[in-house]
Amino acid sequence: MNSFPLKIVTPDGLAYDGQAEQLTVRTTTGDIGILAGHINCVAPLGMGPCTVIAEGQRRTAACIGGMLSMVGGKATLVCTTFEWADQIDVERVLASEKKAQKILSDKSSSDTDIRLAEARLKRALVRKSVANRPM
Amino acid sequence: MAGVSTKEIKNRIKSMESTRQITKAMEMVASSKLRRAQAQVLNSRPYFEILYSTINDIVDSNRDFSSVYLTKRPVKKTAFVVIAGDRGLAGGYNSNILKLCHSQMEGKDCVVLPVGKKAVDFFRTRKMELMTETYNEAEDITIGDCFSIAKSLCKQYKAGQIDEIFIGYTNFVSVLSQTPATLRLLPLLRQDTGREGAVSQDMVYEPDSVEVFDAIIPEYLGGVIYGALCESRAAEQAARRTAMDSATKNADDMIADLSLKFNRARQAAITQEITEIVAGS
Repeated sequence: MNSFPLKIVTPDGLAYDGQAEQLTVRTTTGDIGILAGHINCVAPLGMGPCTVIAEGQRRTAACIGGMLSMVGGKATLVCTTFEWADQIDVERVLASEKKAQKILSDKSSSDTDIRLAEARLKRALVRKSVANRPM
Repeated sequence: MAGVSTKEIKNRIKSMESTRQITKAMEMVASSKLRRAQAQVLNSRPYFEILYSTINDIVDSNRDFSSVYLTKRPVKKTAFVVIAGDRGLAGGYNSNILKLCHSQMEGKDCVVLPVGKKAVDFFRTRKMELMTETYNEAEDITIGDCFSIAKSLCKQYKAGQIDEIFIGYTNFVSVLSQTPATLRLLPLLRQDTGREGAVSQDMVYEPDSVEVFDAIIPEYLGGVIYGALCESRAAEQAARRTAMDSATKNADDMIADLSLKFNRARQAAITQEITEIVAGS
């Protein structure tokens, strides 16, 4: 299968730099799959799982926020956070989920708190689903 | 007479030694902070560079000018994000960046978003219009703060309250050299570097270009501000380390000089005493 150069960066450093055969990532409008020779394209990223297939190996990660760009045959994923499934701290995710749900179920929380808690819950759910997914 | 002067010299040596201890300690603190800041810069640099080049690629190959972020408009108000330090005693670090930004603001109607206590103080005493003073602790700013700065800047830019955004920061070139710089964040203009032929393929925007840029630009600004902040922090510690290193060296020189003087004075006193004894016998 043809491969293409892929770079995944986050503010914490380079998460991936090398050839890949396929990349699937969730954008704000739904999942996009990239194969070698894809047309130039740009899309903002949503929150969701991201799958990279390189040398026949499939790796999954939780990818939140940022953008996908494919220019001149080179794919670049610039994300706010990007964690491979095996790097996710499940205990922290569960704690964060619980905390968010507590704020959401509390009637006296303010609007900003609720908005923050919703975002936190969403992130936690994405991470949980990625971490529990069979490889 | 000679006794008084040796005592004076002794006192000066003592005070010099305690100054030396302080500068030495500050140097060591700065070097340990520098190591951490340097690691952070090295980690975030690929993000900064790739983000910057990706956005430039997108802008260069863009044919669709419906987004406000990509079109130039008459400039009435300019926004400056200026990143400086929280504390002094860092050589020319603070004054270099502040002077550079101040000179670039001349003749423009500016609003400043200072980051770091020194920047806040500097622009406040010059009676410049400040956007906010919340970010007066450059060391405590997180990436989340950078994204919220970016979001509020974009909102004001879209609303037409500001027409141009610049950022002033210090580039961490190496431990020995740091250069202040300014960078235009918005509007993003196509660079006329003759690369037109290189990237002239069509670009697919998902879902459409206006929405893509609306989502990507705040992200881009946040990333660039964070990168600039990391560079500036490392530059500050490096500048402080160098300044404190030379202060320690100067103190060493002065102590050596004073010790020599002290020994001479002591010797002179002894010689005089002997002369007096010999003359008296």
